[in-house]
Parts: sequence; structure tokens; C-alpha cells
Amino acid sequence: MLDIRGLSKRFGYGKGEVTALHEVSFSIAEGEFFTLLGPSGCGKTTLLRLIAGFISPSGGSLVLDGKDIAAMPPNRRPVNTVFQSYALFPHMTVGENVAFALEAQGRPRSEIDPAVDKMLSLVQLLHLKNRKSSELSGGQQQRVALARALVAKPRILLLDEPLSALDMKLRKDMQIELKRLQRETGLTFIFVTHDQEEALTMSDRIAVMSGGRVQQIATPRELYDSPANRFVAGFIGESNFLAAKAANGAVEVGQGRMALEGAADGPLTLMIRPEHVMLAGNAPDALELEATVDQLVFFGTDTHVHLGLADGAKLVARVQNALHGTRNLNEGERIRIALPAKALRIVNDEEIAA
Amino acid sequence: MNGPDTWRRWALSLPAVAVIMLFSILPLGVVLVYSFLTPGDFGNVKWIFSTDGWFSVLFERNIFDDTIGLSGANLSILFRSIILSVLTTLITLIFGVPTAWFIATRPPTQRNFWLFLITIPFWTNLLVRTIAVQEMIRSEGVFNRILLALGLIKEPIQMMYTDFAVLLGMTYVFLPLMVLPVYAAIEKFDFRLAEASYDLYASRLFCLRRVILPLIKPGVIAGSILVFVPSLGAYVTPRVMGGGKSMMLGNLIDLQFGQGRNWPLGAALSITLTVLVLLALIWYTRLTAGRKERDHG
Ligand SMILES: Nc1ncnc2c1ncn2[C@@H]1O[C@H](COP(=O)(O)OP(=O)(O)OP(=O)(O)O)[C@@H](O)[C@H]1O
Ligand SMILES: [Mg+2]
Repeated sequence: MLDIRGLSKRFGYGKGEVTALHEVSFSIAEGEFFTLLGPSGCGKTTLLRLIAGFISPSGGSLVLDGKDIAAMPPNRRPVNTVFQSYALFPHMTVGENVAFALEAQGRPRSEIDPAVDKMLSLVQLLHLKNRKSSELSGGQQQRVALARALVAKPRILLLDEPLSALDMKLRKDMQIELKRLQRETGLTFIFVTHDQEEALTMSDRIAVMSGGRVQQIATPRELYDSPANRFVAGFIGESNFLAAKAANGAVEVGQGRMALEGAADGPLTLMIRPEHVMLAGNAPDALELEATVDQLVFFGTDTHVHLGLADGAKLVARVQNALHGTRNLNEGERIRIALPAKALRIVNDEEIAA
Repeated sequence: MNGPDTWRRWALSLPAVAVIMLFSILPLGVVLVYSFLTPGDFGNVKWIFSTDGWFSVLFERNIFDDTIGLSGANLSILFRSIILSVLTTLITLIFGVPTAWFIATRPPTQRNFWLFLITIPFWTNLLVRTIAVQEMIRSEGVFNRILLALGLIKEPIQMMYTDFAVLLGMTYVFLPLMVLPVYAAIEKFDFRLAEASYDLYASRLFCLRRVILPLIKPGVIAGSILVFVPSLGAYVTPRVMGGGKSMMLGNLIDLQFGQGRNWPLGAALSITLTVLVLLALIWYTRLTAGRKERDHG
């Protein structure tokens, strides 16, 4: 439904030129909850503002339902935004804020009033309809901003870190609320966040960005299980990286050695998630290593075991307390660990860059 | 709340109360009393009660048959004062709001430069400034010479000593008083709101009407008051630009205390002016108070 092809954006000129976005391409399907995830300054807001039409691209095209909308002004695009700062009109009531888009479109009152009431009940704010928007709590303002952006039934809803101003508890509630709204309305959401957990729990697909480039686009599960490179692996969830050497269809880490297919001869980096590190030897199809228990950190549901390898490399293993427990482990103890082949990933050290 | 504490508070507020009494209430009281006295032969007043001063503000007695009629001269000056002040306010609005907008939308580093340009005239004597405007439009002035040189006119156009001249002078003198408060309001305006309104299908005009104007209204009202009130009592500008032909209230009052030798009438006219200003201020507080009530209710 939305095709982004080779979209790029440069700010400034001459020596002060900054390329915020480098030829980004991807497609978003109807009804998808699509998330742009990346660290600060990676170009998420820039991409969103290009889609909304507040800035125009330096190159590439933006095709919505088969039409190139790159030159269309924001007030003609069937795309609405929930701003990070909410940007509610402070001189208007909640109802007036929500009615704004329909009034700007010149719809008749008879159509506006029921639509506003319907939208307000959808976000559970009908009882605050006549309240000034400046007299609302953060969470309430958030809902008004949502209702205001949804009322004109846009083709795409853009959300720029809409939850970042809320406290933890409210944030979790709003995540669920947002997901519910998206399911109920069947709308396409493009959601921006730099919180990987938020991205994993809410999205159908995630585009991980860094340095103005898309590093990987995949479902949350794929991203977690098979990160495309070290940047993605490090940004999503926790990871252990090990320097290894490949030769004749096998990899070597220190004294450990294991057959692993698809490894080109030479040095490479292996990645394994902490929950896959086994604190016992003699596992089939696994890389066995000797390690020292440096530290045990208790987290309630699980314990993080910090391990040191002979060559100085560090690893973290996560052990679920209910299943295994770590009561028999002591700090300073030397143990054997196993890294199962099916949990090991060869990751590209380089992120996608110029 | 014990005795000494209350006493202390009284003592501390005494200077402020004294200043207000001395410089505001007392002179106004004197003027009010004088407006009910009888004119002296060579100016000043005689201490004999009379309402003739107030009577003469609007009416005059025919010298021949003693009938009472409206005072055409006074009424037309009163009327002209109000009309010219309203027009000055409107014209400064038309020029001042876009100017303020222009300045407020410059990069922050450039704004001070533009504001500096706007305030330069403030640092020049009012009389000098007004005479500069006169120099532009008098018969041998800049405009007429240019038009003559271009062959667009054969005779110089008489612009001095007309309502137009007074209006031009007042607009020039009071424009900064409009620009500054409107600038302050626009500078505080959050342009992300304009962006949000474009996102929600608003045209430029719709955004201006529904988002920008309502939010900069306090500045516009403050500017209007700041221009309207001194316009109404203007003295120097109508004197220089309008001469004896296009007088305003300020000049009429001056006349009564000078050549007219009718201090009670002058005093009554002064009170009339003060009441007009007060009405404008009441209208202003009503407008802003109404806003605040809605803001909080
Ligand atoms: N108007 C602008 N002029 C110049 N550079 C800009 C402009 N807007 C953004 N940039 C630059 O483009 C890059 C991307 O900015 P962008 O706001 O898209 O980042 P972001 O991913 O949204 O970051 P954050 O998580 O902090 O919001 C940054 O290096 C930023 O400095
Ligand atoms: Mg951003």
C-alpha cells in the first residue's frame, strides 16, 4: 500500500550538509503495525516527516496506493500524525480538538458531531468532551491526540514516539490500548520508538535503523532469532559476541571446536542470546568451553551469570530460577559451559553503511 | 495576624499609597473640582460653582437669541479624535501584525536586529520624528518634489493640515507600540500547532483563523489598547501635522487652558478624555478576563 523507494533526505548545504536518510526502500502492507526502531538521531523522525509531507525528499519516491505523493502538501495527504508533544490546540476543548480535521475538510455538522462522539468513546474520553485540552493529564492528552488523528479515517497513522512522555505504568497501559485501537480500526500504523521492548511487543514488522539507513526489516521474532548484523543483535535484546575462527566447516573458540555449516574460512563473530548459554558440559551439537563464574546477579525470575573465558572474553548466561536455579554455583568456580549449535549465529560485524 | 504585623504591612505599603494619591488621585481631583468652577477673566478660575464648563463640552448658547444648540466645533473634534484613533489602531494593525510576524519568524539571532530597527524611533524626540514626517508630505516636501519631477502632477498636492496628515503622523509614531506586543505573542506561538493543523487537512487560511489568530489575540488586543489610548489623547502629532485645521481632543484642551481662557471647559474635556480611555480599558479587561475564565472553566 505504501511503497518507499530510494528515499533520501539531506539537510543544509555545502560543508554543513547532513544526510539524515540514505536511499531507504521498503513497503508497508494494509493494516500493518509497522515500527521504525533505532537510536537517537538515526533518522526516524525525518522519515516520518517525509511521509507526512512536512519536508520534501532530496531523492526517491513515496507511492501511496499507486500514486506518487512526494509533492503533495500535508493537508492533502490521507495521512495523520500523533506528535510526540501531542500538539493539542490549547484554546480548544477536547471535542473541538477532535472535530478539527473534519471541520477543516468542510464536513457538515450533522456528520461531525456523531463522528467526534464515536471517536471519543473509542478512546474512553467522552466524559471529558467539554474540558479544555490544557487541563488534561499526560495520558488523557495522548488519547485526545489519537482521537484527533483518527477521526478523519486516514489511510496511515503516523506515531512519533507517542508514549515517551508517559511514566512506566501508563506507558504499558497505552501500549495495550494502542494495539487494541489498531486492531479495532484495522488501520495501518507507522510507529516510531527507540525502545526495543516496546517495538517487539507491539509490532507486526520492525525496521531497525541506524545512521540514516535501514539495517533490517523483519518480524519481531525473526529480528530476535536471526539479527542481520552485530548492530541489530546488540540493539534488540541482550547478546553475547564471541570472536571465532572458521576452518574446514568448523569453528573454533579458544579450545572449543564444533562443526558449523555455512562458515567461510577465516575470523568471524558468533552471537548467542544469554538464555541459550547452558551451564553444563556434554551437550550434543554444542560448542563446549571452560569458564569462570565471575558474578551472580539475582533478578527475581532469573539470575544472570557473568562468565569469563580463558582468553579474557566475557559471556552472560541467563538462568530461570524456577527451572534450574543457581544455588549450587559459587562465584569464582570453574565450570564447563555449552553453546548449542542451533542457538549460535554468525553475525556480520559491519552494519550497513556508506 | 496580630496588631504590630498589620501595622507593619500598612507602614510598608504607605510609600506606594502616597505616590498613587499624590500623582494620580490628587491631580484628577483638582481637575474634577476645576471643571465645576467659573472661568477667571485672565485664565485661572473663580471659586464660584458652575456647570457651564460641562455644558460647553457638548452644547453652546447662541449669542443673539440665547437658544441652546449642539456645539458643532467641539463635537466634530471629539468625533474626529475617536475616528482618527480607531483608524490609527486599524492601520497599525494592518501593518504591525505582518511586521511582527516577519520578525518573529526570523532566526533567533536576527530577531534582535529587526526589533532594534523598530525601536530606533523611540529614542528620537517625538517632535523631531513628527517634523520628519511633515518634511515628507509638505508642499515642498519629498513626495511632492518626486511627483513633480516625474511629471505625474503639475501642482503640489496639499497634504499637510488635513486629517490624512494627522493619521499618517500618528500611524508612524504609534506603529512600534503595536508591533512589540504582537511580536511577543507570535514569538510565544508554538509553530508545531500550525504543523499539526496542516496535518489535519487545514488550509493556510483555516489555520490562521482557527489556530494562529486565537492564540495571538492577547497580543493583538494589548497592541490595540497601547495604540488607541495615546492616540485619543495625542497632542504633539495633531498639532504639527493638523495645525489649527485638524484638531484633536488634546489640542482643544490645550486651547481652553491657553488662548480660550476657559479652564473649567478644559478640565471638563480632560475628564471626558479620561472617561473615554477608561471605557477602552474596561473593554480590554472584559475581553481578556473572559478569555481567562474560559481558560480555567
Ligand atoms: N531540520 C534539520 N536541519 C538539519 N539537520 C537535521 C534537521 N532535522 C534533522 N536533522 C538531522 O538529521 C538526523 C536525523 O534526525 P531525526 O530527527 O530524524 O532523528 P531521530 O531518529 O528521530 O532521533 P530521536 O530519536 O532523537 O528523535 C540527525 O542527525 C539530525 O541532526
Ligand atoms: Mg525523533
